[in-house]
Formats: sequence, structure tokens, C-alpha cells
Amino acid sequence: MWRVACYEWFDALRSRRALVVLLLYMAAAVCNMYWSINLLHKLENELATVLQLPKSEQTGVISTTLWKSKPFQRIMKEMTQNDLVLQDITGKHPVELIYAWFAFFYTPLLVVLVSGSRIAEDLGSGAVRYVIFRTSRVSWTLGKFVGQAFMIFFALILSGIGAYAVAKCRLAGSGTPDLFMNIIQWSVRAWIFSFPYLGLAMGLSHLTKSASKATIMGIVAITVCFVVTILLRHFTADAGWRAYLPYLGVLVPEEHKMYLWRNSLAPLVTGTVYLMTLGCCYLLAGYACFRKRDV
Amino acid sequence: MDNAIETTDLVKRYGARRALDGLTLAVPRYAVLGLIGPNGAGKTTWMMSVAGFLQPASGTINLLGHGPFDPDAHCGRITILPQDSELPLESRPLELLTHYGRLQGLPKQEAARSAAAMLAEVHLGDRLNSPIRSLSHGMRKRVMIAQCFIGYPEVVLLDEPLSGLDPREVAHMRAFLTRRRGRQTLVISSHNLHDIEVMCDHVAFIENGRTVLVSTLEEVIGTASTLVYQLTSEPADFDAAAQAVPEATLTFDAAAATLVCRYDPRLTTPEEINSRLLPALLSQCGVTTVTRGASLETEYLKSL
Repeated sequence: MWRVACYEWFDALRSRRALVVLLLYMAAAVCNMYWSINLLHKLENELATVLQLPKSEQTGVISTTLWKSKPFQRIMKEMTQNDLVLQDITGKHPVELIYAWFAFFYTPLLVVLVSGSRIAEDLGSGAVRYVIFRTSRVSWTLGKFVGQAFMIFFALILSGIGAYAVAKCRLAGSGTPDLFMNIIQWSVRAWIFSFPYLGLAMGLSHLTKSASKATIMGIVAITVCFVVTILLRHFTADAGWRAYLPYLGVLVPEEHKMYLWRNSLAPLVTGTVYLMTLGCCYLLAGYACFRKRDV
Repeated sequence: MDNAIETTDLVKRYGARRALDGLTLAVPRYAVLGLIGPNGAGKTTWMMSVAGFLQPASGTINLLGHGPFDPDAHCGRITILPQDSELPLESRPLELLTHYGRLQGLPKQEAARSAAAMLAEVHLGDRLNSPIRSLSHGMRKRVMIAQCFIGYPEVVLLDEPLSGLDPREVAHMRAFLTRRRGRQTLVISSHNLHDIEVMCDHVAFIENGRTVLVSTLEEVIGTASTLVYQLTSEPADFDAAAQAVPEATLTFDAAAATLVCRYDPRLTTPEEINSRLLPALLSQCGVTTVTRGASLETEYLKSL
């Protein structure tokens, strides 16, 4: 399995499509950071005007004040919908939060675009036939999965480095090693969050021999996940079909995302184990269809 | 001699159509068996079933005495050249074949050495690190053939191995495959009966998903019991020629101007027959060639 995984990663790095998506993702992370810092600067200046504080040429100087303001805390509480998470992220550097939001929000799309078609491509071209008499089908599937997980990790670390570089240039006093380490930490958390989506996209990829169909199926799947998340947040469980909605939440990665926004180890470990298990379940569900299928 | 592959009553359906309809075939160990049959006869389906790519509806497969294909039991012992299957386009031949060798369980150095040697054998020594995307169709086919022989597997299944190769490479590959006789078990599917005749020592005729005939090439074309005379014209006195070899049966094909002489090898020898028949024929017409055995094409067409 490890040999398949290493070769898959190596091969994926050479894939033009994966490389383009990876670079686009990195560019998006950099641009997002750039625009967010500009926006933050404007917000701070407006806040300074309202609070009658001296305006600053540098962004991020009154972030601490901002965090202390009650209305801002209320906004954040609405956004996180979780007191514990709010407590954990309070006081964090805005750059960290901007990057974390970006990484968590766009990782599912990155996963589908980079990894969603890898298995279907090999099934369609027949390349799988050169491998599965040399190793078991399960090793091939798991190797592909692990190889793509490496690829996503690489993409997230690169985007984190890009975002940090922008923050260092644009934000005074933010080029600290601590901030760099924190951004990398958020990259790792986003990577853990990518597991269920990776499992879902690659599981679905077992069902077709067409790379484009596999990508479309992956996009539809993440859309369904988002729709279910919205439904779960806006409908309370009561009688009828809505009573079953909370059970759906078990299957939706978004519902377990907030574990990864916590600081303490226990929720982090719980979330990691849960999301990784969910990813493996999705992958193995796809593998179950492939296990005895003609190739 | 024990068998490397045994399939019994193999059935594979594609919807209502039966691609394999109870196909029974045994391939002796170290044999080079040619699979012959029309398009859609079931040759490729049989190979894919043996390699574990397809799941047969019924029947049994026994591969190297360990039942149907199982990666644990057969990894590195059986390889296949599948039809219509592309290699990963971004990969390089040397690294890809080394990777395949590693998957078969070869140590890194040995896998790399075996990959380089096989690529040199198929005349791709100068394209070891070119992306497969940049190779021509024939070159890709040679990489596909090379991957079959990494790590010296016991059984190699080759589906149309020579199609798409230029004449020089066809001759080279034919010689290469012929050299494997008695060392590895090869199953070669091809529509080119001349290639089969040159490379194989066993043949199987397949028709509508069933085996029509399985035998040694020698028996099928009658190497030991048939002499074929290519004549310049029809013998003026056919009876006189027949009287020269009363223990044999002569048949003249006017269209091809060939005289086929069949005899019982237990009673006489080809030299003895030829020593009496050739002078009798030369007194009546010209003889351009004398060969032992009929052509595979003749025997195959006769079997239909």
C-alpha cells in the first residue's frame, strides 16, 4: 500500500491538472489574505473613527481592542454558533482566522478537483490493469487514498506558506515564527478536515470510468453535504421527517468541523478520529462496489 | 506434465450474451500456447478472467495450483499484457517498470535492473526517462510488453502482443517470445496465424466462448504425419505418384497447386516417403518446396 501511495503522490505532483488546481488554490489563499488584510485595515480605520482613536497606517494594531468589543464578540458568536469555540479563538491573530476560514471553506472543493477523478481515470484508461495483478485491490485503493492525502497536505502547507508571506509583507509585526507555526497548524487541521471529503470523492470515483463524471459526482456530493448542513442548522428536530435530520448530521463532515477549531487536546483528538473514520467509511463504501467489479 | 492454468466450464455473461460459454482449457506448464479464434470468440475475456479482472458467472479457474487469481498467492508469478489499456501517461518507462517490479516484491535494485534490462530488450534503452505521453503507439506497446517480463514471472498472458509494432520489431519480439519456450508459460492471443505458428508449441481454437480444439502445434499441423509439396503445375499422372507411396494418402489442391501427403508416422518416416514420392513428382512437374506439416492457417480454416 505504501508503495502505491508514494508513487501516487509522485505521479499526482506531475499531473498537469492537479498542479494547475494546486497553484490556483495557493493563488486563491494568497489573494484572499491580501484582500482580507486590506478589508481589515479599512474596518480598523472606521472603528478608530467611531471610537475616536488615532488612525494607524498599519493593519492589525487595534485588533485586540476589536476582540474586546461586545458587539464584535456577538458577531463572532453568531458565526461560530459555539461558545467553546468562540472562547478558544478569542484573541487569536486575525491573519490566523482569515487563513483558517479560507482553508476550511475551500478544502472540500480542492479535494474534489484534485483527487476526485484519480481512480476513475485509472479505471477508464485501463492503467489499473497493470497494477491489480501485482497488488490487491484494497491496497491499490488505500494507496491511492493515502497518496492523494499527501497531495492535499502538500497543497495546504503551500497555501499556508503563501498566506503567511502575504501577511508578513502587508501586516506590521506579523512575521513572527509563532504566527507561521499557527498558520501551519491550521493547515494541518484543514487537512484533517479534508479526510471525509477525500474519502467521499475517491469512494465515488470507484463507481465510474469517466474522470469528468467522477468530478461532477464529487461536486454534487459536497453540495449535498452543504445543503444538509444548512438544513440541520435551520430546522429543529421535531415530528415527521425532520425528526430524522439529526441522524444525517452524523454523516456530514461540516457537523464535526468545530472540534478542529478547539484548542484543547480532547476535542481535537475526538474530531480527528471521527473525521478520519468518516473518510475511511466513505472510501470503503466505494471500494465495496469496486471489490468484485469487472475492470 | 502438470498444468499452469486450468479453467473448467467457465461462463462469463455480458447482459444476455455469453462471452464464455463453458470454456474449458488447460495450459501445460512451460508451454507457449496460441489462442486462436475470430473476433468476439472469448479470447480476451478468458485472459481477463484468468488474471482476475473479470468475475466469471460460473466455472472454475486453477492458476498455478492455487485456485483463481489471488494477489497473495499469485503476485509476481503471473503478468498480463491487457488489450486497450493505457499506461499512466505522465510516468517514465524506467521508473514505472521499477515501481511495478517493486509491487511484485522485488528489491529496489533488482527491480530497477530488471526494468532497465527489459526496456533495453524491447529497444527502448534510449527512452528510459521519456514521459510515456511522448512515446509513439508502437513504443508504448513495447513498454507494455516489457512490463510483462519484469521479475521473470511463471505465467505471462499476452493479448495481441505484436499488433501495432513495425515489421522489424515484430520479428524481434517474435524471436524474443520464441526464446521463452520451455522457460515460462506463455499464452498468446493473436489473429496472425503465422506468428502463432512460429512462436507457439501448443494451440487452442476458440469459437463462441467454447474450446473447439486444444493440442500441440505438431499434432494440429501434422508435422510428424504430413508432407506438403508445392508444385509448379498439376501432376500429369496422379496415380503414378500415389503408387510410389501406397502407405500414404495424397490430396491435390489445384487452386494452391499443393500436394498434401499424409502417412502414419508409426509405419514409416518422412525421409522414406520423400525419397520415393519426390522423384515420382519431379518426373511429371516441378516441385518448388517440400515442407513438413500443413500450415496452421489451413488447419484452422479446415476446423471451422
